[in-house]
Amino acid sequence: MSTINWLFEVNFAIFSVFLVLFVTELMGGILLLIAYDATKAKVLPYIVPIWEVTGTFAAFWVVTADFAYPAMLIPVASLLSGLILVFLILLVVRNSSISFAELIVKRGWIDERRLYQLYGLATLGIGICVVIMLSAIVSGAGVTLSSLTFSLGGWVTNPGSLLYLVGVLFIGIGLAPVFYNIEPLRRWAPPLTVLGVAVEGGALYLYSSSFLSAYFLIPAVLTVAASLLYQIRLTAPIASQKFIFALLGTVIIFSQSYLVYPTAFNGAIPVDQVTTSGPMVGAFYLLSAAGVVVVGLLMALYLFAVHRATARPEALPPVPTVAHSP
Amino acid sequence: MSQIVDFDRLLFAFTIGSHILLVSLSIGMAIMICISEFLFARTKNKYYGALVRRLIRPFVVSFGIGTASGIVMAVELVNLFPRFMTLVSQTGVIAIFYIEIFAFFLETIFLVVYVYYGNTFKGRYSRWVLTVPIMVGTLLSAVLIVMVNAWMNTPNGFDLGTYVASGTNYSVTNVNPWAPFLTASTGDEVFHVLASVPLTGIMIIGGFFAYRYLRSTSLEEKTLFLTGLRVAVALSFVFVILAILAGVLEIDGMYQYQPLKYAAIELNPQPGTNLPMTLFGTVSGTSIVGGFQIPGFQGWLEHGANLPGLSQYPQSQWPPLIIHETFDVMLLGGALLGLFVIAYCGLWLLKRKPFDRPILAYVFLGFSALTAIIMELGWMTDELGRQPWIVYNVLTVNDAASNSANLYAPGIVIIAFYLFLFPFTLWFMGRVFRGKSIAIDLEGPTGGREDVNY
Repeated sequence: MSTINWLFEVNFAIFSVFLVLFVTELMGGILLLIAYDATKAKVLPYIVPIWEVTGTFAAFWVVTADFAYPAMLIPVASLLSGLILVFLILLVVRNSSISFAELIVKRGWIDERRLYQLYGLATLGIGICVVIMLSAIVSGAGVTLSSLTFSLGGWVTNPGSLLYLVGVLFIGIGLAPVFYNIEPLRRWAPPLTVLGVAVEGGALYLYSSSFLSAYFLIPAVLTVAASLLYQIRLTAPIASQKFIFALLGTVIIFSQSYLVYPTAFNGAIPVDQVTTSGPMVGAFYLLSAAGVVVVGLLMALYLFAVHRATARPEALPPVPTVAHSP
Repeated sequence: MSQIVDFDRLLFAFTIGSHILLVSLSIGMAIMICISEFLFARTKNKYYGALVRRLIRPFVVSFGIGTASGIVMAVELVNLFPRFMTLVSQTGVIAIFYIEIFAFFLETIFLVVYVYYGNTFKGRYSRWVLTVPIMVGTLLSAVLIVMVNAWMNTPNGFDLGTYVASGTNYSVTNVNPWAPFLTASTGDEVFHVLASVPLTGIMIIGGFFAYRYLRSTSLEEKTLFLTGLRVAVALSFVFVILAILAGVLEIDGMYQYQPLKYAAIELNPQPGTNLPMTLFGTVSGTSIVGGFQIPGFQGWLEHGANLPGLSQYPQSQWPPLIIHETFDVMLLGGALLGLFVIAYCGLWLLKRKPFDRPILAYVFLGFSALTAIIMELGWMTDELGRQPWIVYNVLTVNDAASNSANLYAPGIVIIAFYLFLFPFTLWFMGRVFRGKSIAIDLEGPTGGREDVNY
């Protein structure tokens, strides 16, 4: 009987939350790119507050990964250095464009529309980087572990890679109208998600037939179900309920941990052998437990504030009582 | 190999040098916002409200860019210095980074709630309460990062001897995950940063206010900038006193825990008890060339202690002696800054209206720039003073650094991008600060989404 590697499970759970937040942002970014005027009223009220939280979860995951897998730092740093630095540049573009977009005052050749679309483009670029890195870690495509190098050409020529990327994009574009409740794009959701799931399944099969296990049914069924439920008047509000969507999204991503555990890089790296050991394990558990409480309370505060603002949309800024000048 | 390592050094130094400037501004703004929000709640003075409303806009920008550049730095550490980060991850230092994330969460969530949903919380002091964790989060982030720096200067929490003796096996044994939270230099460094970083941010903001106060033509604008300037000057006074105290304490601890760095900073060729303080100059053999000396001053400052000298260490281990110059410029600049802030406050207390004197406004602006330079020099002194080590007496920069030439191209792109982005960000922060009319801003902090474009 195998024991559970809790270091891996905790790290992957944090990764799942980060990825769900990022994917919801990515869907919004794509909508801003393809139909800014038609979707901004639904997309921006979600994205504008959440992008800061997504970035924090990204940092959270990176630090827990450093903590859990110290032996992997050098290999991963060498292997994916080029992609990681491109990712970083896009991250700076994403953060700067959205914070400028939120507050730009003078509208000239550049305005909030262009900046929000630049944010969408940068987020899409980050998404592509993330998919390439994840698929490489899952499948080993383009990776030569003996020399710790990654070849984009090698990744592209692997039959599963581009399908993997296309599948993710289809699913993302298909679910975007569901998550953001974009009625005019409603009918696109089922065909795109079904196509996306089929392409994704094909990509995994091409990587390795063992990847297409029963666990794949979890995202396949839930993804298609969400797009179908959105077609029915009665169930559409449930399908596009953001909290439920994010919760199920986290479950879906977490259920795919079998792709990198017990081995990553298509069987080349046994995860149990690269996790930290000794007193550091206890410290990891203790801090993670404290972290879950702290982050949980903070997220509860955030959801409480969102709930109050949504429940009382008439809430207006208080009018200050004017006293004296200093 | 060494060229690549030098590039790694340059890239990281450039990134962190840019980042700390932005972080100082963020911390300064977070403190100003919290204090002004409290004063607004307490006095109902509309100018404090306008100050908050104006400061929160550049704060959001600096938070956005600062977050990204912080993540860039974290990932750069892994990519540029993988052996260092491996050691960090095998020891309790990673636990400090872990807690840093919670500080980051504290700042982020409260900022999001304050900026976008603040008006859902009623009560006179409720918005002020939301700003307290934002300020605490930003300060805590700085404190925790400095704790990592303190560990790099005075490492502990594992068997250092075994690690060094194991050579390229890099064997980490006897790990105590909690020890790095309190190293020999942690207290001094944390105190120093808690004083100097807010001082830098607040002085820069104060310089901006002083300049705008003189340039403004409308009475309301002038009153707003005067209000901000008063808050900035009062806070600068507190932090400059703390910074002087912290500087003295840190140099006290340094000669005990980092004697070689101390000897290089003070340019002591030989150890001794009644040593002079040498300003500028350099070492030639066992004597000092150039500069000028204050006889016995160093010995007096350190209460007659036996102070270290460079001759006690092999020359191959000496850090670059330029740190003596960077330290001296920092010291003299800091002394001038202290005198200026104290004199400025003195004029204010004596009702001599320092705010209305154009020359003092320009001098204030000059000191704003000087404060930023002092902080950068302080950081350079600390980092260069530890060379050739990345973890003092344990791991050298050469051994820790990546030797991958793949980093050149993206590294150059990052530098070029930052050279455009950072000046633009500072300019944009100035724009959004003055973005709306004073009449609108005098309605006070919105605590909602009224200032956000969507």
